[in-house]
Amino acid sequence: MGLTGHLTSLISDAHKDRLQRVAERTFEQHLNLAVTGLSGSGKTVFITALVHHLLQLDQDNSLPLLEAAAEKRLLGCRPIDAPGTRPFPFKGNLAALSASEPHWPRSTRDLSQIRLAIRYRRSTSIKRLLGEWGTVYLNIIDYPGEWLLDLPMLQQDFLSWSQQQTNLLQASPRVEAAAQWLKANRAIDWHAPANLAQLNQLGLEFRDLLQSFREPPHALSMLQPGHLLLSEASSPEQDLLLFPLTAEVSNETGTPEGSALAEMTRRYRSYCERWVRPFYTEHFSRFDRQIILTDCLKTLNQGEACFDDMQLALNTILSSFHYGKNSLFRRLFSPRIDRVLFAATKADHVTANQHANLDRFLELMVHDARKEMRFESVQTRCMALASVRSTQAAQARKDGQLLSCLKGYRKETGEPVALFPGEIPTELPRAEDWHQDRFRFIDFAPRALPRSGLKPEHHIRLDQALEYLTGDLFR
Amino acid sequence: MSSSKHDWHRPTFLDPASIENTDTRQGFIPATDIPPDEAEAVDETPETGIPEPKKQKSTWPARALTASLIALLSLAVGAELYRLLDWSFGLHTLLGTAVASLIIVCTGCGLWQLRRSLKGLRQLRHTRDLRTEAQRLSTRNSHGGAAHFLNRLEAHYRDHPQQDSIIQQIHQVDSSYNDAEVIRFLSSHALTKQDKLARACIRKHSLAAGTLVALSPWASFDMLLAGWRNLRMLREIMSIYGVAPGASAQIRLLKQVFHSIAFAGISDLALDAGSTFLGTGLTSGLSSRASQGLGAGLFTARTGLTAMELCRPLPFNVRRNSVMKRLAGELVTQLATGARTSGR
Repeated sequence: MGLTGHLTSLISDAHKDRLQRVAERTFEQHLNLAVTGLSGSGKTVFITALVHHLLQLDQDNSLPLLEAAAEKRLLGCRPIDAPGTRPFPFKGNLAALSASEPHWPRSTRDLSQIRLAIRYRRSTSIKRLLGEWGTVYLNIIDYPGEWLLDLPMLQQDFLSWSQQQTNLLQASPRVEAAAQWLKANRAIDWHAPANLAQLNQLGLEFRDLLQSFREPPHALSMLQPGHLLLSEASSPEQDLLLFPLTAEVSNETGTPEGSALAEMTRRYRSYCERWVRPFYTEHFSRFDRQIILTDCLKTLNQGEACFDDMQLALNTILSSFHYGKNSLFRRLFSPRIDRVLFAATKADHVTANQHANLDRFLELMVHDARKEMRFESVQTRCMALASVRSTQAAQARKDGQLLSCLKGYRKETGEPVALFPGEIPTELPRAEDWHQDRFRFIDFAPRALPRSGLKPEHHIRLDQALEYLTGDLFR
Repeated sequence: MSSSKHDWHRPTFLDPASIENTDTRQGFIPATDIPPDEAEAVDETPETGIPEPKKQKSTWPARALTASLIALLSLAVGAELYRLLDWSFGLHTLLGTAVASLIIVCTGCGLWQLRRSLKGLRQLRHTRDLRTEAQRLSTRNSHGGAAHFLNRLEAHYRDHPQQDSIIQQIHQVDSSYNDAEVIRFLSSHALTKQDKLARACIRKHSLAAGTLVALSPWASFDMLLAGWRNLRMLREIMSIYGVAPGASAQIRLLKQVFHSIAFAGISDLALDAGSTFLGTGLTSGLSSRASQGLGAGLFTARTGLTAMELCRPLPFNVRRNSVMKRLAGELVTQLATGARTSGR
C-alpha cells in the first residue's frame, strides 16, 4: 500500500464525503434549495413548474422578472444526474400537468432529487476575469410533507413528546374524535410487562386516527409521526407503530426492563434513528436557501382550528433548521440557511387584487418564526405565488357593481366554474370573524401547461421567487 | 364586527357564460380595469414617496416684467418691419415683394421651429410626469393603479419609430402583477433596444470627448470640445427616446442634467469619480493631459447617463457604477494606447 493509500485509509468515509463536499463548494456554485411545506402545500407542483420553466429558458422568455433572464444572460439549463437518490419524476409530473385533461400530480410518497446545471454569462467585466460563463448547480429534493414534522422529534425524548401530543389530543378538535382511543390508552399499565399485541393494536388505531385528522372536516397539520401517517400496510413494521402515552407516568422508579414504557421508549429511539435522522443529516442539515410553501386558503376555508394547527406546525418545523449568516467559512463547513422565502401558494385561486392581502395574511401567520430569523440576520420575504396558473381573471356585473372573479375548472368534476372567492382578511381573524359564508376557496383543476412556448401567464411570481432565492448567484 | 353586518363580500358563484373575459391575451387594459371601489381605496393611501419640491412660482412683478418686455419687443419689431415694408414698397414694388416674401418665409420657419421645440418641451414634461407617476407606483403593492399609467405610456409612444415593440411589451404586462411589478417589468423590458442604443451613443461620445481633450493643445479649447460633444450626445439621446430634439428642449434637458448632477450631491460625484479612478488603478500610468481626457470622458458619460434617465419615462434601475467603471476602463486603455502610439 503506497503513501496515498495510507493517507486515504486514515480518513474515514464520513470525512471523505465531507472533504469532497468542501472542495466542490470552493470551486463551483452549488445551491441546495430547501423546498419546505406541509403536505398538500404544492411542493411537487412548484418543483415541476420551476424545472420546466428553467429547462425552457433558452427558448421562451417566461421568467421576465428574473434579472439574469431579462438581461438575456442565461444560456440554458439542463438536468444532471444526482447519484444516490431516486430521481425526481419530472417527466411524469409534467405529463400530468400538460395532458389534454390536465390534473395535479399525486402527492409525494417518497424522497427524490433533481439537480440542474444553469449556465449564465457573468454580469460585469471584472467578474468575467473568472471566465465569461459561469455555472450554478441547483439541487432540489422532493419529499412527503408529512416527514417534515418528524424533524422536531429529534430534539425530544419519548416522554416530552408524549406530553406535547397529549396536550394536543386532549384539546378540541382532536378530543372529540380521539375520546375512545384516549380511554384505551389510559387503560395501559405502563410499568407492567409489555403486551405487544395490545400496543400494536393501539398503534394501528392511532394511525387511523391521524389519517382521519388529515382529511376534511378536520384538515389538521400538526400530525406526528409522519412515517406512521403515510404507511399503508395492514401490519407495518413494529417500530413504526409509535404513539404517545397519555396517562401520567411517574418516572421516579425508573423504567422496568420489558415494560410497556420501555418498549415504547425503544420504539421512539429506533424511529428517530432509522427514519428521521438519516433524512435530516443527508438532506436537511445542508441547505443554503429555503422556500416555505403554505396553503393559506385551506386554513381560511376550514376555520380557526385548522388555522391554529397549521401555525403551530409551521413554527415547529422551522425550529429544526439552522439559520444564520452564511459566511465563506460557514459555507464551506457548516452551511446555514441565509435567505428564506415564505410563499403563499395557490395565488391563482384568489383574484389578483387580493394578492397583497394574501402576502399580508401570510406575514401575520409566520410572524413569530420570521422574527426569530431576522434576529439571526437572515433575509426573509413573504410572497403570494402560483407555480401553475389554473384560473383566468374575469369580471362580472352583480347588483350593478363590477366584480373581479375567476374562471376555471373544478378540480373534482372538471366542470367550468366562475367564482368570486371572497376577500382575504388582512388581520388575523378573531374567533367571531370565522363566519360560515366568508370564504369559499375551491380547488381548481390545472389548465394544461404547454410543453414548449411557455409564457409569463403560466405562473404567478415564480420568476420573482427564483430571483429572490437565486438571483445573487447569477451576478 | 357582527356576523349579520359585515364589511366583506360574500363569496359567490356566477354563471360562467354570463361573464366578460378579461384574460391578458386579449389585451391588457380590460384585465386591470378597476372596480370603482378599488380605485378609491388606492387613492386614500397616503403618499409614501418623497414629494417633488414645489416649483417656485415667479412673483407678479417678475411676470409683469416678462410680459411687458415681450410686448415692447414685439411692438418694436412689428413697427420696424412695417417701416421696412413701407420703405421697400415705396422704393419699388419688386423690392417690396421680395422683402415681404422674405418676411413670410422667416416667420413660417420660425413658427415651425417654435412648434418643434414646444413639442420637445411638452414631451420632456410629459416624460417627467410619467416618471414621477412610475416612481410613485413602484412603491406600492396595490393592484390596478397602473392601468391608467399604462394607457398614458402607450399614448406617449404612439408616434415613436419603434412604437410596435414598445407597445407590444406594454401589452405583455401580466394581469396578476401589482403596480410595483408592472413598473419593474416595463423598466427592464419595454425600452431595451433604446437603452442599448443610448448606452452605445454615450460610450462613443465619451470616448471621443476624452480623446479629443487629451489631444487638444489648448486648455480653453478643451471646454468647447467637451461642450460640443455633450450637446451632440444629448440630441442623439433625445431622438433615441423619441423626444423631438428642438433647441429649447435641448436647453431644458441640459439644464435638468446640470441640475440633477449638481443636486445629486458633490459627494456622489466624488464617490463616482473616485471609485472609478481607483477601481481602474491604471491612472498612475497616464500623463496629466491624458488624465484630463479621462476626466472629460467620465464627465460626458455622466451627463449622458443623466440625460438617459431624464428621457426615460420609467425609472432606471441599472447599476450606474458598473456602467461608469466599464467606461473608465475603456477610456484608460484607449488613452494609454493613444499616448503610446503618438510617441508622446
